[in-house]
Amino acid sequence: MTGENVFQKNYEVLICKELFAGWVEGLRDDFKLIGPVGDGVNAEFREIASLKEANLDYQSTMLPPGKAYLFKPLEEIVLFNAGPGGVAAEEPPIPVQKQVLIGVHACDTHAVFYLDKVFLGAFTDPFYKARRENTFIISLNCKTVTDLCFCHLIGTGPYLKAQSGYDMLLTDMGGEFLVELKSERSKNLFNVKGRPPEAGDWQKKDEMETRLLKSFKKDFKADGLRQVFLSRPGHPVLKETAEERCLSCANCVMVCPTCFCHDVYDETDLSLTRIKRMRRWDACQDYFFAQVHGGNFRSERQARLRQFVFHKLDYEGQFGLKGTVGCGRCIRWCPTGIDLTEIAEEMMK
Amino acid sequence: MRFFSPGDRKPRVGFFKFSCCTGCGFQLAYFQKSLEDTLKSFDFTFFRLASSSGTPEGPFDLALVEGAVTEPYQIIELKKIRANSAVLYAVGSCAITGGIPAIKAGVPEMEVQNKAYRTKLYGLTSLRPSVLGDYVEIDGSVRGCPPGERDLQEAMVSVLFHRKPEFAGYSVCVECKIKGNICVLVAEGLPCMGPVTNAGCGALCPSYHRACYSCFGLMGQANTAALKGKFRKLGLTEDEIERRFSLFDALETKK
Repeated sequence: MTGENVFQKNYEVLICKELFAGWVEGLRDDFKLIGPVGDGVNAEFREIASLKEANLDYQSTMLPPGKAYLFKPLEEIVLFNAGPGGVAAEEPPIPVQKQVLIGVHACDTHAVFYLDKVFLGAFTDPFYKARRENTFIISLNCKTVTDLCFCHLIGTGPYLKAQSGYDMLLTDMGGEFLVELKSERSKNLFNVKGRPPEAGDWQKKDEMETRLLKSFKKDFKADGLRQVFLSRPGHPVLKETAEERCLSCANCVMVCPTCFCHDVYDETDLSLTRIKRMRRWDACQDYFFAQVHGGNFRSERQARLRQFVFHKLDYEGQFGLKGTVGCGRCIRWCPTGIDLTEIAEEMMK
Repeated sequence: MRFFSPGDRKPRVGFFKFSCCTGCGFQLAYFQKSLEDTLKSFDFTFFRLASSSGTPEGPFDLALVEGAVTEPYQIIELKKIRANSAVLYAVGSCAITGGIPAIKAGVPEMEVQNKAYRTKLYGLTSLRPSVLGDYVEIDGSVRGCPPGERDLQEAMVSVLFHRKPEFAGYSVCVECKIKGNICVLVAEGLPCMGPVTNAGCGALCPSYHRACYSCFGLMGQANTAALKGKFRKLGLTEDEIERRFSLFDALETKK
């Protein structure tokens, strides 16, 4: 009882990094630990044995952690067994593996909120729901920003302001982590005693954030694009970019933390008794994405490029959120460096 | 949906080859995971690599044809195969894009003939390489050099089920991202052909840190000009760029 009271009073503690690492390692019995491995913008969320393998100073990853570990790139959703008695459908088991995502940046945490709207909204996806419930998210405030980050313009970073929807928030204060508990289960799980933060610590956190905000390179007007997009859907910048630079390779969509489109298709084996119904990430940049009976409603490359740019920077009517979280991945992993914010700026002119 | 049920006769399959390395036929004969099921479900009426018996006359429920057309007699044979087959799939890059045999596409035929057949092998003449679709209507393309087991299997199953086969039409990049490969083009600056290449291989080369060399051929609406521009920025010479694009797509790039 005493312990609970202590934690109810202090949902924020400062603890030394070694202690925190020790606590994380203790989670290994019940959870798969997944953290950022590698440097700079080419890090990768992978299963780790301890925080020693992780690099919490990473800047970005190619695949976003939320999408990669909650909405699998490729998964079996139904299995059909055909036999003399007919066809029987069998649902694969709901995933029960518990996992911790450690060091999820603010933008990527917001992207999970976006995916929640898609997969836990009007329709509940049982696979996503199970993974989401079994995933403990430890978010991390950024220490640096990259040239391509623009979360500060979207309101999704670099410091995470959301108060729920994830479990824990870390801020690197030098030798210590400021740990803020954001979910009931984190309050039950986090049993490390630390120093309660004082006014000076909060001030230090604010100062770090202010400093970080000043280091952003990108600047464009993210609001008011709707009118521009609606009035000039055939703007020449879309045509020029599509013709000269867009490869329709779909890298932008694949690495986007909020892009949720997927294709469903069947894999039949030659014994003709087992048919696997698969779900795979799909992309609006692919020519066949818009191929329907009777034709293709985005057969032109510029129409597909426009779809991506507008969906990311506008379309708030869909879920009440912008499609972008400002992570900059689509720009970084585009082989020709197409920048949706530059397209938007050009259209605003 | 009507499909061949166990009581029906087995669908008759013919496998034919024109100018190529026979790698696609080998891939089919080497169907590790499903050889037994394949033989249970299909009657290989003609498949020279697997059996010297059998007749090429048909009729066939499914004709699989590999290789590019580079000799006049092949055109006559191809038309005959088409006439005798309910479904005809082009198999492998040579049959679909021209592949390796089409590398000579940019060179005058006489020059090729003198170079290749200078020992005066009688009866061998060179013809500008072309693909099956230039002469007959094809019902589908099983891409690859050689195609993967999955796509060959899908092609055969589609005949049993009387449905359109599900082949990937997107880029290799999609497969790389699904596998989680860090992009070799963006992160390492390798001249990867992935962004313009049709998927289906499972991003084999990039998975081993090698640049894709487009053996599956260009995907539909591939923006080759944009990728060439990127290669120039990476410091490749015009000749190097030309070679990368003409290795499997010479008919497209040397028009």
